[in-house]
Amino acid sequence: MRVSAFLLAFLFTTSIFAANPTTTSNDDSCDIAVQPAATLLLPYFEVDFKSPQSTAVTTLFTVTNVSNQPQIAHVTLWTDWGFPALTFSIFLTGYDVQGINLYDVFARAIIAPGSGPGVSGTSITTTVPVNPTSGSQPGSNTSNPRFLSNAATVCANLPGVFTPSLMVDLQQIFTTGIPVDNAYGCPPPPPGTGAADRLGGVHSNAIGYATIDVAATCSVSTPAQSAYYTGVLLYDNVLTGDYQQIVPRSDKSYAQGGPLVHIRAIPEGGAAGSLVATNLPYTFYDRYTAGLPSNRNIDRRQPLPSAFAPRFINGGPNGFNTSLKIWREGILGSDAVCKDFVRNSAVPVVEAVRFDEHENATIFVPPPILAPPQPLPTPLTMSVSTANTSFFPPFTASGDVGGWLYLNLNNGGSNAYSVSIVPPGIPRDFRTNTSTTTGLRQSQNWVITSMFAEPTYATEATALALGNGCSPSPKAGAQIAPAPNPNP
Amino acid sequence: MKILTFVLLLLLTGTASAATPPSTIANDDSCDVALLPAATLLLPYFEVDFLSPSTTAYTTLFTVQNTTAQPQIARVTLWTDWAYPMLTFNIFLTGYDIQSINLWDVFARGVIAPGAPGQPGGTSNRTAVPQNFWPPGAQPLQNDQNPHFLADAATTCASNPGPIDAALLAELRSAFTTGNISRPDCMVANKVGSNNHGANAVGYATIDVVANCNANSPLSAFYFDRELLFDNVLLGDAQHLSPNSVTGNYAGGNPLVHIRAVPEGGAAGSVVATDLPYTFYDLYTTGAAVRTQDRRQPLPSAFMTHFIEGGTAAFNTKLQIWREALAAPTSCPIAYSSNASVEIADEVRFDEHENATYVPCAGIVGEHPCPNPLLASTSSHPMTYELFPPAATSGDIAGWIYLNLNNRGSSAYSSTRNYGFGSTVVGRRQSQGWVVTSMFAEGRFAVEMDAPAVGNGCSPAPDLSTRAAIGPAP
Repeated sequence: MRVSAFLLAFLFTTSIFAANPTTTSNDDSCDIAVQPAATLLLPYFEVDFKSPQSTAVTTLFTVTNVSNQPQIAHVTLWTDWGFPALTFSIFLTGYDVQGINLYDVFARAIIAPGSGPGVSGTSITTTVPVNPTSGSQPGSNTSNPRFLSNAATVCANLPGVFTPSLMVDLQQIFTTGIPVDNAYGCPPPPPGTGAADRLGGVHSNAIGYATIDVAATCSVSTPAQSAYYTGVLLYDNVLTGDYQQIVPRSDKSYAQGGPLVHIRAIPEGGAAGSLVATNLPYTFYDRYTAGLPSNRNIDRRQPLPSAFAPRFINGGPNGFNTSLKIWREGILGSDAVCKDFVRNSAVPVVEAVRFDEHENATIFVPPPILAPPQPLPTPLTMSVSTANTSFFPPFTASGDVGGWLYLNLNNGGSNAYSVSIVPPGIPRDFRTNTSTTTGLRQSQNWVITSMFAEPTYATEATALALGNGCSPSPKAGAQIAPAPNPNP
Repeated sequence: MKILTFVLLLLLTGTASAATPPSTIANDDSCDVALLPAATLLLPYFEVDFLSPSTTAYTTLFTVQNTTAQPQIARVTLWTDWAYPMLTFNIFLTGYDIQSINLWDVFARGVIAPGAPGQPGGTSNRTAVPQNFWPPGAQPLQNDQNPHFLADAATTCASNPGPIDAALLAELRSAFTTGNISRPDCMVANKVGSNNHGANAVGYATIDVVANCNANSPLSAFYFDRELLFDNVLLGDAQHLSPNSVTGNYAGGNPLVHIRAVPEGGAAGSVVATDLPYTFYDLYTTGAAVRTQDRRQPLPSAFMTHFIEGGTAAFNTKLQIWREALAAPTSCPIAYSSNASVEIADEVRFDEHENATYVPCAGIVGEHPCPNPLLASTSSHPMTYELFPPAATSGDIAGWIYLNLNNRGSSAYSSTRNYGFGSTVVGRRQSQGWVVTSMFAEGRFAVEMDAPAVGNGCSPAPDLSTRAAIGPAP
């Protein structure tokens, strides 16, 4: 009896002192913030490699190492169907910053062009400057204890220039989804086979997305391979980055840009392949960790949210008009083979609602009796006008040209996803937002709102999510609202 | 003995479990400032050329969005660049409502949220609520169905003014361009803003969720005791427009800073414990029994942002910098001029080859960090500004800048632990800041984005780079 009384008193005391936030520490939540991270996501890129640079649409991104230790940024370019077509490493001296113009990659077969022939790319042999204060002094290029022993050699001369044949292959894969040859292990499908065996969508410009991970060595493995997690990926939140999309149209040129998505490793630190417990229910790279022996959370990357509330204006020729750049988690795991990638070409969307400026709401076609109609499925990355009523609900009859969209981009889950346990041990069904023992977790997504008005007004802003990546997925048809929290 | 063992086991288990990061996966449960529905939105910098016609005038617009079915009231406060709250107005938001404000309308036309031709503008709780038959989850509630509204909301929000009185408009223009106002306790000699930004009105704005449509600003104790709410329901973004074909037709846009109340919820004036060490409105709660009563997340103090200075044919960079005011708000004649030039703890500029430069100090040979660069509460400056470190001699046109905007504390700040370069037992907390990076080229290309912060607003203030390595917060 005394024991019970003591415990009750203890628990009561605990509850009294359990004020929020639960944590004030850095790198200790599921919230995606613009802070140094272990993975950067460029949700959408587009490159017109067929035009001269002076008129070509292109995307640039920049990666900064905000630590004094050297770091290796492992870049992967993915098609819009989630095929990892190119990886390359950027060696970053302490406090280094490196810009990459994807036009150089797709049109010139050069990564990080140098000031002359033979000096492109990045290298561990870069000279480290001597700076005036200790706090701004980069460490030597071998001073990162997480580097693998082979880093000194494999990072010594990272390729700035790659072969023209690879560039042609990339050009073709990122515009037609069809490889030139069997170099990727995916032979070009016979003519007339449609989307089957393709690796990406068909569009005149190269379109895809990029991930940038902090890594222990300069390897060519991709995040779709198990070996990446057991031997390459690191966990240090040290990278920041931004991007710009340039649209040259002579005197009507414009640019849009924003921060990359900063995805932190939680907890931070440790050697490549280290298995450290995390309370994240699942992780950004979850779908690629199915084959690992023990821990589906091995990458420790924060997951991204599923529901967003972007604003729109579709003001016609004389006003601002909005398009959304949407990134979506694929439904394939690391065991995907060539013929599987088409499944990432049309990933379902749970729900979309359009509100005008007078709060009138629309959904797709006449109100259903049994189940709401769903938006069109989408590829894993795309830029689409909010006036496109194939993907978004129709405009209301009010005549309002502005408003906002509620997008629950959950794809309904995939067998490649893990279903984890939420502390303190409650099994959770992410698909239906119930706490049962079965079901598939919600999917991850990201949305960027782009607005443009003639001749050259262009803005871009990250769309607001309604909760963090660990928040329960909203049920279709539920009251639209911010995600719940400990103090509703 | 058994009891002791059991309790120890319990404690050990609890400790071990709590030690596995992240400590929380819950929404609205951390000190991280993220793009999620919030209780306060900060527009860190606005600029309006109200003397030019709208077709050529530089202006700032912002939009506020209510993500809930319940109606909400957004209290907007426009502050001068020395942190004087010059104007407040309310935006009544029906459930799922969205409202844009063009600050050119405010400063040039004297109208808030202009209505249709012949209509006075403004917002009102008399707005018709639509009937959204499908989906049911998109139905706004009636305009009185927010249980946190005060009883007087029904009357005070019935007609939020669109037009601004002519005398007030003149006062606004004066305060935001010259810093001069006619208040007897803030005479011309004791200005409330600077006059170093030409004819354009410059300042910043806060937008809070509140319980009625009064005119109180965060300067009033009533604001926190009776009006401020704690619901994380607002979203917002801003655009800076430059529609001048001579200087360039370009726009920059970015989300507003989304500052959440943690924990969320409760009636106006409710005092709920928070583990936030201090809060966004800390400076304005000096008389309160609980200094954290606004429960707003604090902002970080140190930032690291990319820049390009490419000359006439390439991108160039400006930084919009918001800084927490230094001065207590009660003594106008002293307070606001004290916010004119507030110390920055540390600045270091890195080029693309990692060469570091500091602001050179007069009379000191060689490159040493100059201890006291100064900036006001909000400002926008190019990277060539004299108070930023100079470019390195490498010839690199790009790089990044480390800005530790900590003003080293104010006696008006609360201090629950020492944030002054460490975490010991004495000292004042660090100050809050925010940085937006604006890049533009040739009068056509322009991008704008939040600068990455070193850590969150609860992270310890970084030590000076003369003593500790620049890097992410621990």
